[in-house]
Amino acid sequence: MTAGESLGFLNLTWQAVVMLAIGFVLVWLGIARKVEPVLLVPIGFGCVLANIPLGGVSEAGGFLAVLREAGIRTEIFPLLIFIGIGAMIDFEPFLQRPYTILLGAAAQFGIFGTFFLAYLLGDGWLHVLDFSLHDAASIGIIGSADGPTSIYVATILQSKYAAAVVVAAYSYMALVPIIQPPIIKALCSKEERAVKMSSVAGTIPRRTKILFPLITTLVVGLLAPKATPLVGSLMFGNLLRESGVVERLSLAAQNELANIVTILLGITVGGMMAGTEFLRPETILVFILGIVAFSLDTVAGVLLGKLMYVLSGGKVNPMIGACGISAFPMSARVVQKLGLEANPHNHLLMHAAGANTAGQIASVVAGGAILMLVPMFS
Amino acid sequence: MLNALWIVLLGMAIVFAVLGILLLLVVLLGKLPRPKEKEKR
Repeated sequence: MTAGESLGFLNLTWQAVVMLAIGFVLVWLGIARKVEPVLLVPIGFGCVLANIPLGGVSEAGGFLAVLREAGIRTEIFPLLIFIGIGAMIDFEPFLQRPYTILLGAAAQFGIFGTFFLAYLLGDGWLHVLDFSLHDAASIGIIGSADGPTSIYVATILQSKYAAAVVVAAYSYMALVPIIQPPIIKALCSKEERAVKMSSVAGTIPRRTKILFPLITTLVVGLLAPKATPLVGSLMFGNLLRESGVVERLSLAAQNELANIVTILLGITVGGMMAGTEFLRPETILVFILGIVAFSLDTVAGVLLGKLMYVLSGGKVNPMIGACGISAFPMSARVVQKLGLEANPHNHLLMHAAGANTAGQIASVVAGGAILMLVPMFS
Repeated sequence: MLNALWIVLLGMAIVFAVLGILLLLVVLLGKLPRPKEKEKR
């Protein structure tokens, strides 16, 4: 065996060097800047591992390749994560303000608008980029602002940009506090941002909280069957939480299950960032379109919020429309902060959380709609 | 291109239809007579 066949540094390519640097930056962002460390540390480290020449961790038989086959290609990881997320989410703010589900629906426009734009740039019209209908739909799903839904949809559609889509979805969720405020400020006047919303009296009965995940699974499953695995796992986790009789299982879903799968998913996603596959002009475009998706989500949500502001006679703060994206709870925090900036006595957190949790369900439904429609029209 | 336009239109229609029905059911759920809550959580 020659030195060239056994020493990694003799086999370094420029792509590997760039990706190693990106991996270290992600780890640095997570540790030093505390930007979504739970996601960025495993993703960054996976990226480093995948780009060490001759390491073989992402090649056939390597441990990250095995995890990818077992957890991502089978769509098991995103579904298991959803059980944990469902067990963590309290839907009470939404159940107190059910109308916020319409904001969630509007904010899914980012998915479809970006899909259209990507297809326009690719096989649909301009042919400047190698984006098929399936690729465009996978890129659009970044607008779900939901990592598990993005992985699930991009994997089922077998997009060649699945890795970039997943990394973009997770990265931009961390960047919601940077992406959303300028858009919200551009669309809402200070007077609108300062609108105080009255609090909702009373709590939601336990019976309603138990029936909600069952009804949601049934309605979404029957009308958008392709969304059943996603909504089913999300609502199963929520049922564990709300039933009140399986606290041990609920806590295990929220902690052990969610943590273990996050570790495995994070490092596996990082392992998908091999330089030779990742560093292409199309990948850069995927990231740019990801920002477009998040921006369109925000614009559509805020515009419906403004309509509600007008129709309610100024009782709805239009900013809560921005929380229709499912980046929970980052988006709700952004709106709470902007509300306080406009009016120091303006507490919008619970209203924003209502729209934010509604957005979680809406993004799953949109994912199901994409999975139903794309094969029909391809 | 027309295919993509149909996906956008139908996709948004499905999202609004499904969530609209869910909204209706959640509102109806809220109208049910409140049970006397004696559960200890």
